[in-house]
Amino acid sequence: MKGSKLSARRAQSADRGNVAEFLALRLGSELYGVPLSHVREILVSPPLTVVPRAPHDVLGIINVRGQLITVIDLKARLGLLGDRPLQRPRVLLVPGPEGELLGLSVDEVLQVYRLAESEIEPAGVLGGNVAEHVAGIGRRDGVLLILLSLSTLLGGGPS
Amino acid sequence: MKEPERGREEFISEVQELIEGLSRDLFSLDTQEKSTNVDPNLINEIFRKVHTLKGLAGFFGANRLGELSHDLEEILDDLRLGKRPLDREMVDLLFKALDVCGQLLHLEQHPELEAPPQLDAFFQELAHFARAEQEQVHPAMLSDYELDAGLLAVLTEYEEHRLRSNIQQGMSLFRVRTTFKLQTIDDELEQLKVMARPLGEIITYLPTGGGDSDTIELEVLMASGAKAEQLQATLGGPAIRIEELARRNPTNPALSDHQEIPRDSIAPQRELNHAMDLSEPKATPGSAMQATSLKSTSQTVRVDIRKLDNLMNIVGELAIVRASLARITERVRGQAAHRELAMELHRLHRAFDRHLGQMQDGILEVRMVPIGQIFDRLGRVARQSSRETGKQVNLVITGAETEVDKLIVEELSDPLMHMVRNAIDHGIEPTEERIRVGKPEQGTIAINAFQKGSHVFLELEDDGRGMDPKRLIDTAVSRGFLGAQEAKELGIEEAFGLIFLPGFSTKVSADMMAGRGVGMDVVKTNISRLGGVIDVQSEIGVGTKMTITLPITLAILSALIVHVGGQPFAIPLSSVQEALVFDPTATRTVDNREVMTLRGATLPIARLARLFGLAGQERGFVVVVAVGTRRLGLVVDYLEGQQDIVIKPLGPSLRQVRGFAGAAQLGDQRVGLVLDSPALVEEILTGEVSKTPLGLRRSMA
Repeated sequence: MKGSKLSARRAQSADRGNVAEFLALRLGSELYGVPLSHVREILVSPPLTVVPRAPHDVLGIINVRGQLITVIDLKARLGLLGDRPLQRPRVLLVPGPEGELLGLSVDEVLQVYRLAESEIEPAGVLGGNVAEHVAGIGRRDGVLLILLSLSTLLGGGPS
Repeated sequence: MKEPERGREEFISEVQELIEGLSRDLFSLDTQEKSTNVDPNLINEIFRKVHTLKGLAGFFGANRLGELSHDLEEILDDLRLGKRPLDREMVDLLFKALDVCGQLLHLEQHPELEAPPQLDAFFQELAHFARAEQEQVHPAMLSDYELDAGLLAVLTEYEEHRLRSNIQQGMSLFRVRTTFKLQTIDDELEQLKVMARPLGEIITYLPTGGGDSDTIELEVLMASGAKAEQLQATLGGPAIRIEELARRNPTNPALSDHQEIPRDSIAPQRELNHAMDLSEPKATPGSAMQATSLKSTSQTVRVDIRKLDNLMNIVGELAIVRASLARITERVRGQAAHRELAMELHRLHRAFDRHLGQMQDGILEVRMVPIGQIFDRLGRVARQSSRETGKQVNLVITGAETEVDKLIVEELSDPLMHMVRNAIDHGIEPTEERIRVGKPEQGTIAINAFQKGSHVFLELEDDGRGMDPKRLIDTAVSRGFLGAQEAKELGIEEAFGLIFLPGFSTKVSADMMAGRGVGMDVVKTNISRLGGVIDVQSEIGVGTKMTITLPITLAILSALIVHVGGQPFAIPLSSVQEALVFDPTATRTVDNREVMTLRGATLPIARLARLFGLAGQERGFVVVVAVGTRRLGLVVDYLEGQQDIVIKPLGPSLRQVRGFAGAAQLGDQRVGLVLDSPALVEEILTGEVSKTPLGLRRSMA
């Protein structure tokens, strides 16, 4: 146990130049990581206006300093069951396609992880049938993060 | 199967023609570059051809050709604006690029061939060149001349570059005032340009506001090496007044070398620095001089419309403050102990209300521009189209001074250009046909703009052959837009509405080939996005009249706030006729649609809660909205009241959601959706028709 931690840390210092930062967040019972550089702002659930007829994974719109932002239910977008109640819900502001700033609703925001290349496994380790938006698996101290590629996830827009 | 084949052949031959033309142009450019006497029109011509090439390539999915022409277009745009020098390297690059165009076209014709590897190398070179840091070429000094600030403010980037470049070459500037007949202004202006060309260059022209109902006086800014008398002799008689623009500061031109046209807030800021003697130590030695010279010219500032939007947002926020103030005033008034305080608050509230109103009007006024700005472009489009089709067309414009919100004017430009082109292509008959039916040889397209209440009306009328509703219906049926049964039930007005269906056009027009493939459906979408409606009237043999009705401004909107399923919605007051208590027992169902009777007339109704999938109440209110001649009752839970709102569009991710024009902040952090009344009326009343094209679009994708 101790040995593996040490080697991980050594690996981390060896290629310090290739450290990537991820924001860890919880959706249901699983932990995900999104590139920190994509996260513009974290909001404490502002009042939401439901948009009738919107795609099923759109929660609604919010007003952020005079700008209308569409909030996407990240769980619904990922096809996760959303019945577990939100505990400390947050909205992340991230850039979407066509220069639109989008809100992503998550159940909880945890912390920032700085992951070295050696701590990131390619999505392929999960087997052949991994969703395209999974960029890889991050591991640190027994914590497992599903790393999301936001551009793939948000790229086509809701349909 | 044959149709696309033929289109493709036309594409190939058109591109070939363009390449040949470009190659001739490049040879001229080569010679001119060597003699260092380059005609700016030549560069413009090359730019235009490359632009057309790009459009063609895009339309036919020739991606690499599109990419190449895109990069080229950028380089040429810089060249034409003087941001890049025209030198040997540039000319060589252009020749090389043209060569590659030829190779790419060859590959388009023979897809089985493999692309030679050096193509990639060239693409890299070009991309590198296109994105390379551009050196700023010679900023010439404009403030030396007695130029009108109002004129400077409206120069396009290109015109400004030409002006600087002419000054650079030591040309003198002249102000030419002349009067044109409104009916023939396009031709006369063209004539003036032709006459002026040997002597110099016309930089720009602006109406002075002079002239009577039939004429218009223009002020033309011209650069020339000739003397005023020479120009007077060449350009014509006493109707033309020519005056040389004096140089302010001929002894020391270097002082204002870095002078820019006063723009935005830069000018006042500099003035301020000067006045308070706070100018930065880095400032050029001439900065004091600049400040004084600026003072005399900058009566006008150019403002980014987003800044005005921002101000409007603040007004919106203040309106919310005002509402809170009113609430507090009401509360205090109810307490006997605070009578005096209540009176004072009430006075404050009234003053606040008044000033806020003035501020709102002030900002709106700044946003207003005469609609005539785009009519200029329409003249050009009409000329081009009539040349292409060989039809004689006279464009008569009235009401150019009608003022509309700047944003609306911008958005109107494309739809109107398309409508003019359409009227010439499909409406006006060929000359022989006109003679045969006893019409004047020259067709007329009349555009009339006027304001009525808080709306602007734009009428576009041609005296062409008109539209035959029967033929429209037949076409719609044969193309699968309509079923035979539906076709029988269609009224005349609805038949004209068919032209707005996506993909409905009686022939594949030449416009499509030129890469400006917008149809009437796009026209309609654009106009309804602006909160406007378009109506069509047509009579066979007499002509077609399209009327666009638009709100004067988009920035602020009076709306009725209603609640459905516990959520607030705003209905633009301009479309609301009345509101009344809803009696669910008094509704009937006719042809699967719910209707009620309102003062003896049948009114179709839509229950918003059901329509939007919200949990609404059975009892409530009916808000009657009217769009054009059609009415619809919207059933809501309750009415909150009237409020001025600042409407904002929904993001691109919600673009496909129909029925909402946007959203607005309603106070207390609440955001409410704004109903798109025209779209809802369209959806409820003509539900069947609008479903068909959607299905068609899917099958075409």
